[in-house]
Amino acid sequence: MPQLDTSTWLTMILSMFLTLFIIFQLKISKHNFYYNPELTSTKMLKQNTPWETKWTKIYLPLSLPL
Amino acid sequence: MNENLFASFITPMILGLPLVTLIVLFPSLLFPTSNRLVNNRFVTLQQWMLQLVSKQMMSIHNPKGQTWTLMLMSLILFIGSTNLLGLLPHSFTPTTQLSMNLGMAIPLWAGAVITGFRNKTKTSLAHFLPQGTPTPLIPMLVIIETISLFIQPMALAVRLTANITAGHLLIHLIGGATLALMSISATTALITFIILILLTILEFAVAMIQAYVFTLLVSLYLHDNT
Repeated sequence: MPQLDTSTWLTMILSMFLTLFIIFQLKISKHNFYYNPELTSTKMLKQNTPWETKWTKIYLPLSLPL
Repeated sequence: MNENLFASFITPMILGLPLVTLIVLFPSLLFPTSNRLVNNRFVTLQQWMLQLVSKQMMSIHNPKGQTWTLMLMSLILFIGSTNLLGLLPHSFTPTTQLSMNLGMAIPLWAGAVITGFRNKTKTSLAHFLPQGTPTPLIPMLVIIETISLFIQPMALAVRLTANITAGHLLIHLIGGATLALMSISATTALITFIILILLTILEFAVAMIQAYVFTLLVSLYLHDNT
């Protein structure tokens, strides 16, 4: 049976290693799997105005102990 | 007759140069890479099919097992395309070579088993003794389980080789028989019909890859990681 002739085994195995482990994996690693487009919420995000990020007493003048 | 029959399984060499490397590399030409956002139909179809197959096969595994996705997907593509291309007349099928199948089976099986041993030693050793065996049977059962473990890569390789080789041989034989029977045309129609059915069944060479990757995957991986 010609498959049992071990003289060609090294060539076969090396060419298989090249194809399978290198070429095919390089090709498949370049596939992009995209996410399906999803709806983003249209609600406007509330931006913090600079004077609201830090609270200080002067913002509530009526509460000052004067 | 014997020489003639096995002639198509001799590794093709031209003047000592390995033509077989080009033959093994050829299926990779049929899977073009494309870095575009929107590809052409051919590439899109291939990527979609690969995504389908990977979801089907890799969803059973935990995240550690899913790191093998690239390897197993390229395995199934390689074996599938090689087997299908081998169905063309006068082509050489690399997967009929025992050398190549052994070269695929042994490293992959060994990788899975060694991963299991390194990360979950007790669990993987525990697989040698099924639950609830009566005490006197334990030594014999451990021996049997060890043998069945070590036979796995051999079985994988020989299964693929034997199936593809046998299919190709049958096609050769029956085709030759049809040709010889042409002059006695009564039985020709029946034999041609049998060839057709046999070729269709052989299209399930694709099922062979499914069998290969699936067997490899399910038995080895679930075994070693879960």
